[in-house]
Amino acid sequence: MEQILANGVYLGSQYAMIALGLTLIFALMNVLNFAHGQMYVIGGFVTYTFYGHWGVPFVLALVMSCVTLAILGALIERYLFAPVIKGSSREESTMLLAAGIAFFLDAVILLVFGEKQRGVPKIVDGVFNWDFRLIMPYDRILICVLAILSIIAFIALMQYTKTGRALRALAQDRTAAQLMGVNVDRYSMIGFALGAMLAGLVGGLLVTITGVNLGMGGATSIKAFMMVMIGGAGVISGAIWGGIILGFMEAIGLALLYQYGDITYLVIFVSLMIFLAVRPQGLMGKPWG
Amino acid sequence: MIFIGVPFAIGVTGRWDFYFTLTSVALLAIASAGVWLTFYIGRINIGQGAFALIGAYVSAILVVKVGWSFWISLPAAGLFAAVVAILIGLPILRLRGVYFAMITLVLTQVVTLTALALPITNGARGISNIPLPSGISVFGIPILPDFAAMESTKLAFYYTACIIMLLTYAALYRLVNSRLGHLCRSMQQNEELASSIGVNISYIRIVIFAISSFFGGLGGAMFGSIAQSVYPSSFQVADSVNFMLNCFLGGLGYVFGPMLGTLVLYFGWDLLFEFGKYQMLIYSTILIIIIRFLPNGLLSIRFSKGGDK
Amino acid sequence: MSPLLQVKNVTKKYGGLTANNAISFDVAENEILSVIGPNGAGKSTLFKMIASFTPTTSGEVIYRGERISNLKPHIVARKGVVRTFQETTIFKSMTVRESVVVAQHLRAKASLAGYFWGSKTAKEDVAAFGKYADELLEFLGMWDIRNEQASNLPQGSLRALGIAIGLATDPKVLLLDEPFAGMNHDETMNMVDLVRSVRDERDVTVMLVEHDMPAVMNISDRIVVLNFGEKIAEGTPSEIQNNEKVIEAYLGSVDDEIGM
Repeated sequence: MEQILANGVYLGSQYAMIALGLTLIFALMNVLNFAHGQMYVIGGFVTYTFYGHWGVPFVLALVMSCVTLAILGALIERYLFAPVIKGSSREESTMLLAAGIAFFLDAVILLVFGEKQRGVPKIVDGVFNWDFRLIMPYDRILICVLAILSIIAFIALMQYTKTGRALRALAQDRTAAQLMGVNVDRYSMIGFALGAMLAGLVGGLLVTITGVNLGMGGATSIKAFMMVMIGGAGVISGAIWGGIILGFMEAIGLALLYQYGDITYLVIFVSLMIFLAVRPQGLMGKPWG
Repeated sequence: MIFIGVPFAIGVTGRWDFYFTLTSVALLAIASAGVWLTFYIGRINIGQGAFALIGAYVSAILVVKVGWSFWISLPAAGLFAAVVAILIGLPILRLRGVYFAMITLVLTQVVTLTALALPITNGARGISNIPLPSGISVFGIPILPDFAAMESTKLAFYYTACIIMLLTYAALYRLVNSRLGHLCRSMQQNEELASSIGVNISYIRIVIFAISSFFGGLGGAMFGSIAQSVYPSSFQVADSVNFMLNCFLGGLGYVFGPMLGTLVLYFGWDLLFEFGKYQMLIYSTILIIIIRFLPNGLLSIRFSKGGDK
Repeated sequence: MSPLLQVKNVTKKYGGLTANNAISFDVAENEILSVIGPNGAGKSTLFKMIASFTPTTSGEVIYRGERISNLKPHIVARKGVVRTFQETTIFKSMTVRESVVVAQHLRAKASLAGYFWGSKTAKEDVAAFGKYADELLEFLGMWDIRNEQASNLPQGSLRALGIAIGLATDPKVLLLDEPFAGMNHDETMNMVDLVRSVRDERDVTVMLVEHDMPAVMNISDRIVVLNFGEKIAEGTPSEIQNNEKVIEAYLGSVDDEIGM
């Protein structure tokens, strides 16, 4: 029981971070970043390159992941998304663009990092063992703590800083924000960069545990979408809840149904579909329609 | 052009593999036509892969386990997909925008996982060794030859695929220009207003979604026949996304948009195979450039507002 | 003569908020009845319930002896009770004429399949629709703009288009939601004449929600006044103008606004 709880918290914190980035981007630009999973993978690979390959200290490698993704995100927003959003008559164009970027990043990952699965040496050795009721390797605990700290930092940023306030204003009402003097172009870019950075950070954190490879991008994107939808698209608390719920569902599902493998995910997906059909705005979303 | 020009060109250049490519284009265009149709009522459909997979399995099961002729299993597959669409559509079609899109995205995964889990679909091993389509004869007069007896099945499949594709698009064209098309357009532009003038929006949404999935099932079933096998991985989320991309690229306002889009995207993808690992890079770069500069699709270059009157 | 439409004790509650409380009144055939009241009085909500775009919490709306509340909106439209919208709600990418043609689909005789295959009935329908659309547009003075795309039209024409779309369904009761909003004096006068001729020449019963008092007093046969979700008065324009409760409700907007 405690094991399931612990696993749930661990998975949940990681997923929540991914969901946060995605929901931020959605709140700002009304676009589901199809490439979010790829950004996560890039984060993982950058950390691998710096920490695993070149031996740079882990924290520094993480920072590099964040920086890389932030720059990447900013560029993508400024030069690709912004003009398309302005120039298109249909909202689906941005979705199409996001899909194109996802493919593009997949290609870049293949060329720059290769197709092999990569891992890094453990950052902390040893396993926490509480009477065999709860077994958790120390590095997982560390990563979980780091994730939770990052989430708290993110929320603090959004609540208490000028940047955060500007972003929240922008997310709520673009026109109103403009009237209040918020430079919407600049903050859209910052917001996207921030969202991308979160994805990259999680990638960097998780590469120490699950490793990273090219194929994870798409699957991660889908999980991220689901979380955001469960929690309510564009709502920060929703993203966190979505992440936690998915984390727990996976933990519980894997514990209970482990002999049936794929059924876990089938059950999760079908429940999700039913949930969304009944309550499309997710848990925290504004009543829709 | 399609029927004589292409075979001639292929014969001359000796690029026999193009038959498979173009046949694929035709079949994918059929599925993409379905997605286009859902766009026509204002919904973003990222789930056509699910229906293609359903169609492929139904046809395969009917041919292999029940012993039906392929030609009968084809419409049956389409109909089964349509029925599934109706069942799923009932609760979800009232949702719009990203919400609908996300559920359809999950749908593809669900079908894949179901295929893995059900005994009738053989799980991960899939259904293989599907026999080639048999002939059809009425009163002893052969109308369609038996595929197994032919020396060049490639050509036969190509023609079949093209014929079905043309029929699909003819139907689409007719639909768009009929009263149903008017109703769809009114719903696409303003569902509430359409409802206030008496349009039964729930009914039409389901009808259109069913037709759209019918096309998906059709394309999938034929694919299974050509590949002579069906696996849970035959159609995945990426395929659903691709169908959607085909529509976008060609232009959502034009009936033949998805056909052009499929041709460009798939054929382009295949042509780029020469570039090995740079294939995806170049492909996606071109895609991004097109979206960036032609956000309303390729056909918007030629027409200001084309064939949807 | 029994009333054409009856609103019987219609109540709408949203959670703890009561938008309409036990509203009752009758509408006679061929009359022009306006529903007025200060902002937030619940007028639009009432209209939405009459056209069944919103379910009632309790109470019913009876049309020709049949209950029409809480049915699906398109069914109510088919029965002849049609609503236009408060915002400039139109089919953006269609031309004026196209919108009016589409709106006639309710009158189609051929089946959907008939249209698909181009049956004779279908062809006749299509011809009839075009003709009716032209006639209607001319009646409404919109002939010149018939091929304009709806999104290019100015405010006044958009309102007229909204009415055209509603009329094209050949309704028996037309619910106009703020038809004079955002118009200057001349435009309003034109619209008043238009609405009146719609009632006179096309045998339609008209209900309006409006804020423009001079126009309402000018055009209405009878008026129902709502305030804070309750009906506070009902009567002819002169009765309403002299009604104390009404004056009180509009306190602060006396004189110019309601023309007293």
